[in-house]
Amino acid sequence: MRPPDELDGYLRGDSALSRQYRRESSPEPPHELDRRVLRLVRGPAPNLPPLAFAASVLLSVALVLAIVFGPQSSKRADEAPHLVRASARADVSPLLYSSDPVRLTPRQWLADIAALRRAGRNGEADAEMRRFRAAYPDYPVGEPK
Amino acid sequence: MESLDEDARLMLRYRDGDADAFAALYARHKGPLYRYLLRQVRNAGAAADLFQDVWSRLIATRGRYVARAKFATYLFHIAHNCMVDFFRRDLRLHQTARIEDADAPASEPEVPEHQRPDRVAELLEQQSALLAALSRLPQEQREAFLLHEESGLTVEEIARVTQVGLETAKSRLRYAVRKLKQSMLAAEIEDSPPLRARQLKAVN
Repeated sequence: MRPPDELDGYLRGDSALSRQYRRESSPEPPHELDRRVLRLVRGPAPNLPPLAFAASVLLSVALVLAIVFGPQSSKRADEAPHLVRASARADVSPLLYSSDPVRLTPRQWLADIAALRRAGRNGEADAEMRRFRAAYPDYPVGEPK
Repeated sequence: MESLDEDARLMLRYRDGDADAFAALYARHKGPLYRYLLRQVRNAGAAADLFQDVWSRLIATRGRYVARAKFATYLFHIAHNCMVDFFRRDLRLHQTARIEDADAPASEPEVPEHQRPDRVAELLEQQSALLAALSRLPQEQREAFLLHEESGLTVEEIARVTQVGLETAKSRLRYAVRKLKQSMLAAEIEDSPPLRARQLKAVN
């Protein structure tokens, strides 16, 4: 008679060896590794700089079209709020994501000028302020904080 | 479709674009896969790289997935191939280092921290007798044991994953089990002095 094979006994399950192995520590992958793998599936976070660049291009085109073909085409170019052409970076103002820059109200325009100052872009802020005064000579100028 | 295991169904859903199905699959298999790799390469950094490599390959080839067998067989087949590549790279690295060092003046060989003999001995001491014995097994035997314990693969599935014949897989697992049992027995004897004394007495 063939002696019982220890492998057969082991493969039937619940052997002392398996029980001992299951009692051992069971290391899991670190959380950072989990995040890295799951990121492979969900895809990378949106790449903001190219998006900002695309928004800037779109806004510039919209502005040019509005100036050339829009009802305000007779207005002097300096009267348009140039700020939206200056940059579409999120760190300046959320208004820069506006899809219709020529509809900036004086108050919004001043808010953007203040945002430029907060970003340390004083030269651009001064230029915008000059354009603002030319467009709205009677508007009480007090740059909002 | 009825005969498919739940994991294979999840993988099919993921293949068809359901990212949540992947998250479920990942949660089920990350632990067994990580331990399989960690206890094979015995280095956390290398295991982490391999772990990510395995999932990357699974993601990259998901479009070709066909549910022919248990999903674990598919996953660990990828893992086995990644590990074979790893060991080949490691071997080439050591061979290159030996050739480059042939003309250099004799000096202390530079080995990674985790491979230094004193460090290995220290690690073995920190482990249980079983894990220490597991780490001393030949790689093929260790792999067969881990595939069975961590993912519940049968001998046939182990043979398929490791691309060897059924008898070879069976033989590897048999040797692994025998050696591990012996190490457990030895540890028990060490832990119980009266028993050891009785055995020594019996021997004498």
